[in-house]
Amino acid sequence: MTAQTPIVQAKPYIPGRARSEVVRKVLLYAIMLAVAAVFFVPFLYTIVTAFKSIPDSVNVGLPHPWTTSAWHLVWTQYDFPTYIKNSLFLAAVVVSCNLFLSALGGYAFARLRFPGRELLFLLVLGTLMVPDQLRLIPIFVMIVHWGLFGSFWSYILINLASAVNLFFMRQYFLTIPRDFEEAAKLDGAGYFKTFWRVMLPLALPATAALAILQFQGVWNDFFWPLILFGQGNPDHYTIQLGLAELRFTYTTLWPEIAAGSIIAIIPVLIVFLAFQRFFVSGVVSAGVKG
Amino acid sequence: MATTTATEAAPNRLRASMLGARVREAGWGYAFAFVPTAVFGLFFIYPLGYAVYISFFHWGILGKTAPGTGTFNYAKVIHDPVFHTALKNIGEYTVAVVPLEMTLGLGLALLINQKIRGRNFFRSAFYFPSIASSVAIAVIVLYVFSQGGLFNHAFGFGTDWYGNAGTVGWGIVGMNTWTTSGTVMLFYLAALQAIPDDVYEAAALDDTGAWRTFWKITFPLLRPAHFFCLVVFGIGALKLFDQPFIVAAGASGAPNYSTMYPIIYIYNAAFGVSDFGIAAAAGVLYFILIFALTVVERFTVGRQQAA
Repeated sequence: MTAQTPIVQAKPYIPGRARSEVVRKVLLYAIMLAVAAVFFVPFLYTIVTAFKSIPDSVNVGLPHPWTTSAWHLVWTQYDFPTYIKNSLFLAAVVVSCNLFLSALGGYAFARLRFPGRELLFLLVLGTLMVPDQLRLIPIFVMIVHWGLFGSFWSYILINLASAVNLFFMRQYFLTIPRDFEEAAKLDGAGYFKTFWRVMLPLALPATAALAILQFQGVWNDFFWPLILFGQGNPDHYTIQLGLAELRFTYTTLWPEIAAGSIIAIIPVLIVFLAFQRFFVSGVVSAGVKG
Repeated sequence: MATTTATEAAPNRLRASMLGARVREAGWGYAFAFVPTAVFGLFFIYPLGYAVYISFFHWGILGKTAPGTGTFNYAKVIHDPVFHTALKNIGEYTVAVVPLEMTLGLGLALLINQKIRGRNFFRSAFYFPSIASSVAIAVIVLYVFSQGGLFNHAFGFGTDWYGNAGTVGWGIVGMNTWTTSGTVMLFYLAALQAIPDDVYEAAALDDTGAWRTFWKITFPLLRPAHFFCLVVFGIGALKLFDQPFIVAAGASGAPNYSTMYPIIYIYNAAFGVSDFGIAAAAGVLYFILIFALTVVERFTVGRQQAA
């Protein structure tokens, strides 16, 4: 911005330019507010509906009267506390295991020398090419065969590590100067201690970004929970499965469905608002959600 | 420098300890890399071969259901009109949704990239639909576009947009354009901010208009971003599953196979009809098709991009 200032000043004075600049700004704000409104109206409409009674939900305006009965029903009758608990449990276990193992592997591939390292790393990158629609059938068959079908272990197991996270951590470890490890080694720290006490804390920004994205991924995941818990196993339903079930069973119970959707969005929204910076940098550098 | 004296005193012992250190490092390397690599081998590499294996048998939930080995599953899938419909639907969907997502995403990025107040607010606002779950988004959109919903009320229509075979495909295109354009915007924003200021300063000195500056300078300079988005969001579009599943309340493809897409087809073959052989064969065929498309893209669009 500072580099541009002299050029703007060097321009000859043109009558009306200042006014056209104001018009441009106003127009720009108008467009942006309009787009933002279009983006937000469906959410606002949903929030309003969640406070309506069922007969009132066919009307478009504000609730008349306001009621929290939909929230009450979702909480007591449709088992949303269980769904939330299941989703939070899976998210907590998967985020911690996946990040620990991906960081550990990423560190090994970045810094430790062992025969076959490059070949193994190629194998890790190759897994990025294997799509879910191809893994779906064999993984389901394996899970059933191992007797893990319908248990939380199945979901945790297939999400124990991910190539994207490992790759991202490796790239990050490569940017950390070797001096830190050498200092740790002089202090007599072993390999694991060096990783755990020195390198992992230094990689905190990368780990935080990945943790946020991973949390969002597990909380929003519909496909794998549907495959693993979706075949009539309601006590294992995640929040997204529960919401889908609510919609499939009670197609037009709009206030309850609206309240359920808001519950399904809010935790990710909170994390997003709290860690926006990580979110943006994480999405751009780690890739896209499926 | 204590090691220097050690070298002079006992070179053999040093060599032995260096070898020991290297072996120890390699040992720790294997130990650290073992679990993640095992997970990838077990849940990515092995299933690749296992899927191909299953596709040659009659296979139910618990294993082989009838004797016989052969390509019969492939023959069935290739001649199944429902699979053809699924391919046609996903083709139309992808050709429509990717350019729309990229246009809207680039448009939003250009708006955000202006030097104005409240940029961060607008960036969050435009990105917000991208973070919400596919199920919540689908359910909300179904409500807004239901027969008596807000959209029909505001614009005076009476159509059940997502219950009608003629409009549901476009409905899914619209839904995903809305939610994905925020992510596309982030990539374009990063690319826009990487363009050096002096390029624009030169244009400003020549008094080039904004429209001309965009088409002659910005748009061509964004070519790597265009290519990246085309590949990433193209492949993403081919994986469509959640939205049609929610819209149709299952994998039936209702109404009239208009929500039948390849992954819905695979899911339905496995969990609707319990024919895992068919599902695996369809998965392998679809994988080959996507792979071929990626290769073609590399050699056409990719070559242009390199030139």
